[in-house]
Order: sequence, then C-alpha cells, then structure tokens
Amino acid sequence: MPAVQETIDRVRKIDVDQYKYGFQTEIEMDKAPKGLSEDIIRFISAKKDEPDWMLEWRLGAYRRWLTLEEPTWARVHYPKIDFQDIYYYAAPKSTPGPKSLSEVDPELLKVYEKLGIPLKEQEILAGVQKAGAADADEEVGDNVYKSGRVAVDAVFDSVSVVTTFKEELAKAGVIFCSISEAIREHPELVQKYLGSVVPTSDNFYATLNSAVFTDGSFVFVPKGVRCPMELSTYFRINEKNTGQFERTLIIAEEGAYVSYLEGCTAPQRDENQLHAAVVELIALDDAEIKYSTVQNWYPGDAEGKGGIYNFVTKRGDCRGDRSKISWTQVETGSAITWKYPSCILRGDDSSGEFYSIAVSNGYQQVDSGTKMIHLGKNTSSRIISKGIAAGFSQNTYRGQVSAHRKATNARNFTNCDSLLIGDQCGAHTEPYMEAKNATAKFEHEATTSKISEDQKFYVMQRGIPEEEAIALIVNGFVKDVIQQLPMEFAVEAQKLIGISLEGSVG
Amino acid sequence: MNMHAQPQRTLAETALIDAFGERLSLLPGDGEVMLKRDDAIEAIKHGLPTRRVESWHYTDLRRLLTSVPAFEADSAVKALAPILEGSAVLPVLNGVSNAKLREVEGVTVQRLSEKLTDGSVAPGLDSYGADDAIGALNTAFVADGYFVDIADGAELEKPIELQNLQAGGQAHVRLLTRVGAGASAVIVERQSGEGAALVSSVSQLVVGDGAKVTWLIVQEQPDAATHLAQFKAHIGKDAKLTLFVMNAGGKLVRQEVVVRTTGEGADFKLRGINLLAGDTHTDTTMVLDHAVPHTTSTEVIRNVVTGKARGVFQGRINVHQYAQKTNAKMACNTLLLSDDGEFSTKPELEIFADDVVCGHGATVTEIDHNHLFYLMARGIDEKAARGLLVKAFVAEVIEELDDEALVEALEARLDGWFSTHG
Repeated sequence: MPAVQETIDRVRKIDVDQYKYGFQTEIEMDKAPKGLSEDIIRFISAKKDEPDWMLEWRLGAYRRWLTLEEPTWARVHYPKIDFQDIYYYAAPKSTPGPKSLSEVDPELLKVYEKLGIPLKEQEILAGVQKAGAADADEEVGDNVYKSGRVAVDAVFDSVSVVTTFKEELAKAGVIFCSISEAIREHPELVQKYLGSVVPTSDNFYATLNSAVFTDGSFVFVPKGVRCPMELSTYFRINEKNTGQFERTLIIAEEGAYVSYLEGCTAPQRDENQLHAAVVELIALDDAEIKYSTVQNWYPGDAEGKGGIYNFVTKRGDCRGDRSKISWTQVETGSAITWKYPSCILRGDDSSGEFYSIAVSNGYQQVDSGTKMIHLGKNTSSRIISKGIAAGFSQNTYRGQVSAHRKATNARNFTNCDSLLIGDQCGAHTEPYMEAKNATAKFEHEATTSKISEDQKFYVMQRGIPEEEAIALIVNGFVKDVIQQLPMEFAVEAQKLIGISLEGSVG
Repeated sequence: MNMHAQPQRTLAETALIDAFGERLSLLPGDGEVMLKRDDAIEAIKHGLPTRRVESWHYTDLRRLLTSVPAFEADSAVKALAPILEGSAVLPVLNGVSNAKLREVEGVTVQRLSEKLTDGSVAPGLDSYGADDAIGALNTAFVADGYFVDIADGAELEKPIELQNLQAGGQAHVRLLTRVGAGASAVIVERQSGEGAALVSSVSQLVVGDGAKVTWLIVQEQPDAATHLAQFKAHIGKDAKLTLFVMNAGGKLVRQEVVVRTTGEGADFKLRGINLLAGDTHTDTTMVLDHAVPHTTSTEVIRNVVTGKARGVFQGRINVHQYAQKTNAKMACNTLLLSDDGEFSTKPELEIFADDVVCGHGATVTEIDHNHLFYLMARGIDEKAARGLLVKAFVAEVIEELDDEALVEALEARLDGWFSTHG
C-alpha cells in the first residue's frame, strides 16, 4: 500500500504546527478600506461592474444582516469577531479575468506552485494550454467523462484569478466561470437561481455573505449534459485581515451530471481570519450533483493561536424528481469549523448523501454535520460521518433528519462514528430526528471509542511503529468516505489526514 | 446572551406568578427554603422555556402550557390499590401526604411538609441549570411529599409505592428517597388522577454504595392533565439503579431523568415505554452524567405513537474527562402508527474521555410488513396481528426486568392501555 507508506513518510517529516501552506505571497493588492457599510458594498459592486439589481440585492441583505444576531448554539468558542476590523475586498492587482495563464501575475503562479498538493490544480494550471489544445476535440463531443482532467477556477483572496478549460467546457454547453463573470454575462440564470436555496435572510453568516460576497464559482450544466470533466475551485486567503466571502452556485438542469471539488488553504498568521461562504446547489429532474470539499485552511499553531474561522452555509436543493445531490467533505483545517452541508429533498424519488471526515487536532473546534429535509415522496438520504478528535480539540457532529407530513416513504440511514485519540479532546454527537409521517423509516447509529488496543497490537506486532499503526487504522476507519471522493483526490485526502494527526500520539 | 426584550407574559406565566404571590403565606418552609422559592419564581418571571432553549427544543412549554388551573382540587381522591401486591403505600392525595406512617422495618418515612418547615431539605431545592423549568416551578410551589430513608443494609421484602394522585387543580410534590449502603429496594412511583390538573413532581434519589434499587414510574394521568416531572438520582460506588418509566396518559407530559454516577462501578439501566394516543404531547428527556471512571449504563426507550400524538425523546450522555472506561449504550425505537402522529428524537453523546465505549441508535418506522404478512398468513386478522406486533415491541422492554411480579404487573398495565387504545 504505497499511499499508506507515503502518509507515514510525510507524517514523520512534519512537526505538529508546521502547516505546509503557511507561506504568504507578496503581491500587490487592491483593497477596499476596512470595515463594513453600505458604501463598501457599493464599492464592491462597482468594482465588479455589477448591474443595479445585484447591488440592490446586496444592500437588502446588508440591511437584513444589521438586524440579526450572531448564532451561539454551536459548540464552538471564540472571541467576539469585530466585523468592522476586516477588509471585505482584496484583489490581486492583475487584469481581471485573465484569459490565459500568461496574463496571470507570475507571483500568483508561484503561489500555486507552492500549493502543489493536496490538489492537482497547479500541475493542470501549468499545462492548461497544452492540454486544452490536444484533447479538446476527442472526448467532449460525446459527453464522455474523462477522469484525470480537471477544470479549475482559482480564487485568490476575493477574486477569481483564472479559470481553465473554459473553451472545452463551452463546447459541451457547460458554463464554468467566476460568479462575477456570470452576473455580467448570464444575468438571467443568476437572477433566477441566486438565493433560491439559501435566501438572503437565511442566517447571520449567509446574510453577511449575500451582502459582501466578492467572488466564487458559477456552474451551469444544461439539460442532458454530463459534464465532461471534474470541475474544481481553489480558494486561498492571502491578505492579512481579509474576510473571504465566496459564493458558489451550481445548477444542473434536467438529466445533467456534474462533479465539483473545492480545496482551500491560507497562510499562517497569528490573527484569525474569517471565511464565510455560501454554496447553493440546484438539481432539476434526474440531475445529479456531486460536491466534494477538501478543506485545509490554516488551523492555528500548536497553542491554538491564529487560524481560520470557517463559517459556511452549504445547501443543495433536489428540486426535480429523481434528482440527487451528494456532499463529500474532508475537513482537516480551520481553527473553527461551523458547517452543515444540507439537502432539501423536494422532488419525488430524490436522494441526498453526506459523507464526511472531520479531523481535529491541536485546539481546533469542529461543529459540522448535515440536514436532510424530506419533503417529496419516496425520498432517501444517507449520512456517513467520521469524526476524529486528537490533541485538545472538540469535534461535534450535529445533524438533522426530518420527514414532513407528505413525505411518504422517506428513508434515512445515518451512521456517525467518532474516534478519540488522547484524553484531552472531546467528541460529541447531536443528531435530531423528526418524523411526521408513519411511512418514514429512519435509522441512526453512532459510536464513540478509541482505537482498540487489539487492533493496534495486531499492527504493531508486525513491526510497524505506533504512530504508523495509528495512521493505518485511522485510514481504515475513514475508508467509507474516502471512497466517495473523486479518485485523483482520494490519495491526497488520505495523506492530509495523516498529516493532521501528526503529534497526536504518545 | 438574550438581547431581545422580554415578550409579553403568557396567561400561564401570569397565572403562576400571581398564584405565587397569593400562596406564599401558605407554603411551608423556613427562611432558607423561602429564599430558594424566591429564586425559583424569579426564573419563571424570565419566561417559560421556548423551543429556542435547546433542552426544550421539541417541547415549547411557553406555547404548550396554555392555561393554569386554580390551586384547589375539583374533588376528593382516594389512594389506589398498589400495582404490586403487598406494597407499603405512601399516597399524596390532592397534594397532601396522607399516609398513616406505619412502621416498615428498616424504613423511616417523614412528611416533606415537615422537612420543608424545618429547612432540612433546602439544599436539595436548587435547580440544576438555567433551563430547569420543572425544578423551578416545583421549588416555588412545593408543599408536600415524602422523605423516605432506607437504612444501610436493609433488604426490603415488600415494595414501597409512592402515589401522587390529583383530581384537577394543582399539585407540586417532591419525593425524596435515600437508599442506604448495601440496601435493596423496589419502589413504585405512581402518577395519576382525574380531570385537568397541573402537576409538578420531583423525585430525588440517592443510591448508597453497593445498594440495589429498582424504581418504576407509572404515569397514567387523565387525558386533560399536564404532568411535569423530574427524576434525579445519584448512584454510588458499585450501586445499581434500574429505572423503568411508563408514560401512558396526560395531555402535556414531560418526564426528565437526570442521573449521575458518583462512585466507581455504578450501573444505571433505563427502560422506558411511551404509549402515546389522542393528542398528547409527551416528552422524555434524559441527562446522564458519567462522572467517575468505570461506570456503565444502558438505556432502551420504546415508543408507540397513534392518533395525533406527538412524542419526544432526548437523551444526552455526558462522559466527563476523568470517566475513563465508561461503557454507555442508548437506543430509542419508535413505531409511528398514524400519519397525524409525530416523533422527534435527539440522542446526544458528549464525550471528553478517550478510553470509552459509547454508542447510540435510534429508529423510527412503521410495522414491518413482512411480520404482518407472516401473522396474517396464519389466519390472524390484520387488527389482531398489528396489536400483537405492537405489544411485542414494547413488552420486550418489560420482560428484561428480571422480577416476575414486576413483569406481570406491568404487562397488566400494558393490556389495560391496549384494550382502551388498541
């Protein structure tokens, strides 16, 4: 098993608080003044050349936000955030929306070079022109899905800097661009769908996002099209004191299919940085959306200083009959994670899935889970959550499964397992199950335990040192979820878990 | 962190606060007890809990408690024949402890009104958290009940049955029990009555080291009654507590179970059946603290929901940081038999120790069609077949009690419920 060996090698090399992506890049930035006001929102909107309706939408959200209170129900603790001490807009000073890599600031390219793994963007970014020219014609026309090729939208601080494979995707009818571009070029689609899953009044952070979001990705897969390649977005927060508020909107029309992956990193800093994203997925009849996340924001140092506050609202709407939305997440980073990717199972026979691995070490706090809201008939959902807590971290699964009156034959299976490594950490599960229909069938099971001595003994007895033995067992523990990731990323995710747990033994 | 202005008081809140002013002079208790009562009514003045209070998420007491009856009972009540033959019966009739305190060997019984007057129970009147609305309501108004002390080493041959019977009006009762080290006892707590009463009942139990207690709560309130109850227990070293809760009545019911293991080797078993019919709202909420190493617990709750009934089970297992080697398992299974019924469950695990084995499972479903087919294929009509399966589903929990007399008595209660609601 070479992947495991690599994990072990990597674990050996790295100290606990050595965050691999902790470099920062000196790039000239274009920033709005600190703080939040209607003027800042007008500034952002103007910077983005947005139409009036978009500005009004933002201002409406902002006014709403002023009336909201920060939620306190999650099991996370942090000093109060000063929302006036954040830059809401920071963009690298390069030509907006470069068409090819040659237009991108070379410093930026170096950033992606350094990022290297866990994702393969950098490699593909570098080869964009070649690959685009060589393979464009053969597969795409037939809508044949070709694995190994990934179209990337890279978001640096607040703006999308580059999107690859655009032309090739366009041939298939797929629109993949930054959301700012979509607002300019496809306003009818954006207007129709934006905020239809996560309305501007949804919750404190989603409302804030609606007011100030600066960029993000937009994907539109038209009727009957199977997106010819993996789509991916890379988010990186670089500038000091910036909040990153990205907005992702993915629409799969009737019978369409798309698989999308996002990756996240940030430099190492003493202060906490805020990340409040909103992701909306819409699946019409027979459509399928697969959304995977490898989240590796800076988690703070060994003393719990610094790190990203990751307050994210992700929701998918299975609007059409027989539609399907699947969330997969590997959460290893962030000082605080507050994230519940959800599915609204509105269409009859629709289904939702949630696969999650949440690894916390050091002083990380994770409060994550999902919501499966069964509204249509014969809907089904499946939740597999694996939480691993080490160090001084707190790892909470919080999920809700509910069947409404008319949701006949709703079916859910939930499994959430937690693994504790060390006696200073905590693992918690808080599932909510609400059945209002007699034909609903809900099953939930949860277990919490430490790595069994028997398992460890078995592995160590074969000459494998303790730390490696644990990496091996943990990788077995999360296998169910890793299998759901697109193949290219599964190996990287495995390594990431190994790195995150480094220093947790002994 | 409640920044909202307090909304206007509901009718029920106003009625409770007014009643406190009127009844204050009638309530027993020395200075210290009175201070606790004042604190408690202050908590009620801040408003009854709404669904925004996490532990009341599914039982919005502020909305559900629409009215509060006057204090006086509507009619007299008589003590009931005990569930288990030969039990020593300690009745509280319309809020007044009414036993002829006859001698049972090894048992000392006192009226709670006396213990309130002399102030000796004051420390036990504290609420256990900001969301302890039942504790606060009870502390504010508690007037009577019993204090039962079972001597160290006493092995009671006959069970004790505590009855709380209320015919309309209000009653706020506390039942305190201490079971001495090495003692063993079976105690039945019976909650019943007539009419639209508001009852708050708090049972506090201390299980001494090495003691063995089986405690049965049989709640059969009339359809119009509001029943807010709490069972709090501490389990000592190597002690065993088996708690059996049967909810089979009431309009608005909340039974809280708050248990803490305080000595190594303590073992807690909770077995519960909720038989829900009509338009009852019945909530069973458990908070279990594994506070010391090497303690074990299992909880099994079975629910049957018919009619427009709404059921809730919340179970939280806290494993403290030093409570290594904890073994805790919880299961909540529900048969939802009607489209108008609903059941919500929230099993929580909160774990701060690593060397533990904890798990919980929860299911909600209707009757298995294969099972039904199996029986009907053997000539049993559908209604009878359903009845058989539902009964078997809950009876399974009862059969686990390894005491034949108990099992028979509880199955009789079960038959009684099925004959009127089946």
